[in-house]
Amino acid sequence: MEFTFTPENLNRINEVISHYPEKRPAVMGVLYIAQEQNGWISYEVMKEVAYVLDMKEEEILGIVSFYTMYHEKPVGKFHLQVCTNVSCMLRGGYKIYDHVKEKLGIENGGVTEDKLFSLEEVECMGSCGTAPMIAVNEDYFENLNIQQIDQIIESLKNK
Amino acid sequence: MPKFILDGKEIEFEQGQTIIQAAKKSGITIPHFCWHESLSISGNCRVCLVEIEKMPKLAIACSTLAAEGMVVYSESDKALSARNAVMEFELINHPLDCPICDEAGECKLQDYAYSHGNGESRFNEEKAHKDKRVPLGPLVMFDGDRCISCSRCIRFCDEIAKESQLTFIKRGDRVTIVTYPGKQLDNPYSMNVTDICPVGALTSRDFRFKARVWELSSTKSICNGCSRGCNINLEVRNNQVLRLTPRQNDEVNSFWMCDHGRVNTYKFINAEDRVDSPYLRRKGALARSGWDEAFAAASSELKSYSKNEIAFIGSPYATCEDNFILSKFATQIIGTKHMDFIRHFNTSFGDNFLRQGDVTPNSFGAKAVGIFPGKGGLDLDGIIKAVKDGQIKAVYLMEDDMIAFNPELQEIFSKLDLFIVHATNFNKTTELADIVFPASTYAEKHGTIVNSDGRVQRLKPAVATFDVDRALEGMSLSRWDKFGTKFDSWAEGNKRDARSSWRILAGLSGAMGHKYKYGTAEEVFMDIAKSINAFSGLDYEVIGELGAKLKLDSVTKPVIA
Amino acid sequence: MEKIVLPDIKDLHLIDVYIQNGGYTALKKAFSQTPDDIIDQVKKSGLRGRGGAAFFAGLKWSFMPKTSSKPKYLCINGDESEPGSFKDRQILEFNPHQLIEGTLIEAYAIQANAAYIYIRGEYHKWIKLLEKALADAYEYGFVGDKMKEKLGGNYSVNIYVHKGAGAYICGEESALMNSIEGKRGYPRVKPPFPAQNGLWGCPTTINNVETVANVPPIINKGWEWFSKIGEPKHPGTILYGLSGHVNNPGIYELPSGTLLTDLIYKYGGGVPGNKKILCVIPGGSSMPPLRGEQIEGIKMDAESLKAAGTSIGTAGIIVMDEDTDLVQVLARIAKFYYHESCGQCTPCREGTGWMLKLLNRIAKGEGSTHDLDLLISVASNIEGNTICALGEAAAWPVRFMITRFRDYFETCVSREVTIPVANKVHSLRHTEYPLAPIKD
Repeated sequence: MEFTFTPENLNRINEVISHYPEKRPAVMGVLYIAQEQNGWISYEVMKEVAYVLDMKEEEILGIVSFYTMYHEKPVGKFHLQVCTNVSCMLRGGYKIYDHVKEKLGIENGGVTEDKLFSLEEVECMGSCGTAPMIAVNEDYFENLNIQQIDQIIESLKNK
Repeated sequence: MPKFILDGKEIEFEQGQTIIQAAKKSGITIPHFCWHESLSISGNCRVCLVEIEKMPKLAIACSTLAAEGMVVYSESDKALSARNAVMEFELINHPLDCPICDEAGECKLQDYAYSHGNGESRFNEEKAHKDKRVPLGPLVMFDGDRCISCSRCIRFCDEIAKESQLTFIKRGDRVTIVTYPGKQLDNPYSMNVTDICPVGALTSRDFRFKARVWELSSTKSICNGCSRGCNINLEVRNNQVLRLTPRQNDEVNSFWMCDHGRVNTYKFINAEDRVDSPYLRRKGALARSGWDEAFAAASSELKSYSKNEIAFIGSPYATCEDNFILSKFATQIIGTKHMDFIRHFNTSFGDNFLRQGDVTPNSFGAKAVGIFPGKGGLDLDGIIKAVKDGQIKAVYLMEDDMIAFNPELQEIFSKLDLFIVHATNFNKTTELADIVFPASTYAEKHGTIVNSDGRVQRLKPAVATFDVDRALEGMSLSRWDKFGTKFDSWAEGNKRDARSSWRILAGLSGAMGHKYKYGTAEEVFMDIAKSINAFSGLDYEVIGELGAKLKLDSVTKPVIA
Repeated sequence: MEKIVLPDIKDLHLIDVYIQNGGYTALKKAFSQTPDDIIDQVKKSGLRGRGGAAFFAGLKWSFMPKTSSKPKYLCINGDESEPGSFKDRQILEFNPHQLIEGTLIEAYAIQANAAYIYIRGEYHKWIKLLEKALADAYEYGFVGDKMKEKLGGNYSVNIYVHKGAGAYICGEESALMNSIEGKRGYPRVKPPFPAQNGLWGCPTTINNVETVANVPPIINKGWEWFSKIGEPKHPGTILYGLSGHVNNPGIYELPSGTLLTDLIYKYGGGVPGNKKILCVIPGGSSMPPLRGEQIEGIKMDAESLKAAGTSIGTAGIIVMDEDTDLVQVLARIAKFYYHESCGQCTPCREGTGWMLKLLNRIAKGEGSTHDLDLLISVASNIEGNTICALGEAAAWPVRFMITRFRDYFETCVSREVTIPVANKVHSLRHTEYPLAPIKD
């Protein structure tokens, strides 16, 4: 599918570019803008990002696949990220993770059929002092137990 | 010059040189995978870790600058233990498929595993798997399992070919190399990545599974794909050229050659359509003849025309020696002034790296040794016009396919009364010829060619013919080539009855009552050096493996148009 | 007890509150002095980096060339991704202006042409909070072109926030610079060091968020005051992060050298269920773990922890009670470093995967004592042989956990050693494998 940036986003891109002495460093910011607009980073998106930054598509691909926060395939409307790293693990991170898997019927990297939820087991999110945690898109939910997870998922369904 | 100590030996270095560079200059190779002299330093393989006195940690020899008085150990317990450790890491996920891997025999990983590896594996887990047999481009195949992520190919594309067509993707041991979806590794120099790949991850689709490399004999030669004259190795098995690889010459091609040179310039040598003996036209068709019969026929035919009715066309594909004798033959024996050669120029082929618009290997040399019209003689256009007008009745053409060069000439040249041709392969031109002499290709003879910079370089026979005996000529052999034994793989190869053009001309002049005294190409060259200023002081030894410059002030660069 | 970085002041994140409490006065004071004076004071204060290596901050600043034909840059490292570390986000949330003020002072001291604050992408909320604070600071004239007018003098600098995108390795300073440059986050081969060849090949200094946030109080209250807080060799307060099996996990700002046991019991409220402590990692997951019976009397500062055979790291303390499955914990830590290894250099790329596979096998109950020795050997072979410190970060937990808890791990593996025949048959030579001496 063809992808072009909206005029507003092109303005935002120019603002990001202005932070650096050259265009290329803006790539991480531009990829975020692209992901916000498209939901994920498709090859068409990479092509367009390469075009606006005078970069090679190959370089964009190398960057997108290096950083975990750029989605190389579509994710659900609510992308659930469960931390299972040590501090969360010690406080029940895997219980939360397994519960979410069971509740949504998807595995790591999966998307529910209604495309509402996707799941990712993530590395330490910096919530060790408020573990266990789950992030929904960009928002953290911390100090969780199973009941709260159920509440969060239910409330998201009604959103 | 400042010095440092490497394993007890004093090594001289220049300011700014790294340990590995200085060591290499002194003939010591510190093991390495990712480092390559003409690429940027990436420091990722860690095989070149060395111990340096007063440094707390081991350092990589590829990025550490040599310093006066530095004491370096590349074979100390610490250095060896690190190298063994790195080798073990390189091998844990590397497939043990050397028996079916094209790289085997010229694989750095294999070599180092033998010299620095443990010999057995402590790795008892499932290996990481990646994509295999990925055609990265029309000429290069990728095996992800074998890749050791040294990044040489990526750096080559970025820095030398200037086409960033390859990239790493992902992280950790999932890292692999890809082209962008829908795009290919298809730059004019793409196959060089197969040479610099230290393992069998990148292989040539042109050469894959054709031979084990240790069966190949390797002969130092020059690419004839254009006037750059990239230094190459001709690699031969069973008397067949199976691949060309670039040979380092910093003055000419560094470590590289173009894909065109590599895949398009050797197949005619092995081709079925080689001219395999002299041919005479009888009852409208070319028929095989013996050499003496062909010489006699050519001699008597040539004698039946006046000198102004005969024109000679030399060849930018033939050697200086061939062209020199042709020029002598034309001016001294026939006495004609009508002489030239065909310029093959292709602007779209040339680039600002290696490839030259003049797509012949020796137009400089052809002109320099005398292939040009004498005073009042006709040049190529003049000759063509005179053939058309019937003033020129006989043309003697050496090693060029005139008709393919200009199909319009077919009609004009069919008017000729006599058309004598030296050819390596049957072609459009031999179809019109009355007499065809089988010429040796550049891979079958001694000789010299001059590149567009005026650099004289040597050709040596890599393929045996009736004319060049591999034992007498001292041709290089592979370890499988044992004369007369059942391992003598050359015995099975096809040997052709072809001769160097200068030798054909010498035979013909003998038949015409004028005997040339030359026994070898080298003797012809000695005569060139004696009689042509630009070549003075040169001989085969001076030219050596890397060539030598002509005295350029004494010869003007031929104008190619 | 005085808190320097996270004082208990309500709404300190608001610029007006910050100014009411003496905010941005250090900046004015700094601008009335020469850059060298500032570096000198930071040197004398003894301030050490809070990002893991505890390098002397003033010394680092002094590496910057005084004259340079190229621009100079300052990077602030807020990539905070080490498991067990969650302190920088507190600064971003509760005291962002002190970070901004510290950044400005440091930028002035090294005469930076621009400053980039690199924050991990997952900290979306905290990036927004910082950006808000930064916008306010711009509006008030503390940052950017208006600085000259507001503060007098001839120096001005812009601060930009650069958002990471999920890569632990970008907390490594040279990988961070590559990431800012818009490349894969590969660490660079050193030397050259950032002060010579940093961002875009220009002289660059990189400091952790917490380190920089300590600078304004040092300028305001003097280096002598700072140098007297806590342990003299590692002065100041430290944002200790408590996580794992403690009743009150969280960030505690306390003087350096605070007892580890005080942190766990006095501040952290002890272990749930009053269980015994099996293991404590004192500085984030990459630091050598300590046995529960080892922690008595251990002070939390760089030198004391070094003497105790571990390291302060990011002061992220992970507590594990007696019921913890250490094999699972170690396998999870190994999985993290395997996931985060950038894949550039051989020992880390291959070694992290090997260690994980071994640990997963042990966790499944299929390990042998041979595998424990092998793990230590593999870890030792990574250490010191890599481009960046992720090698050590991946190797240390494995090597130290197994050596220090050998008794524990022995109970999780079989004594029978089976080396598969298949691995022997291709061998051409049988040589003794020269093992690196085990360091402990």
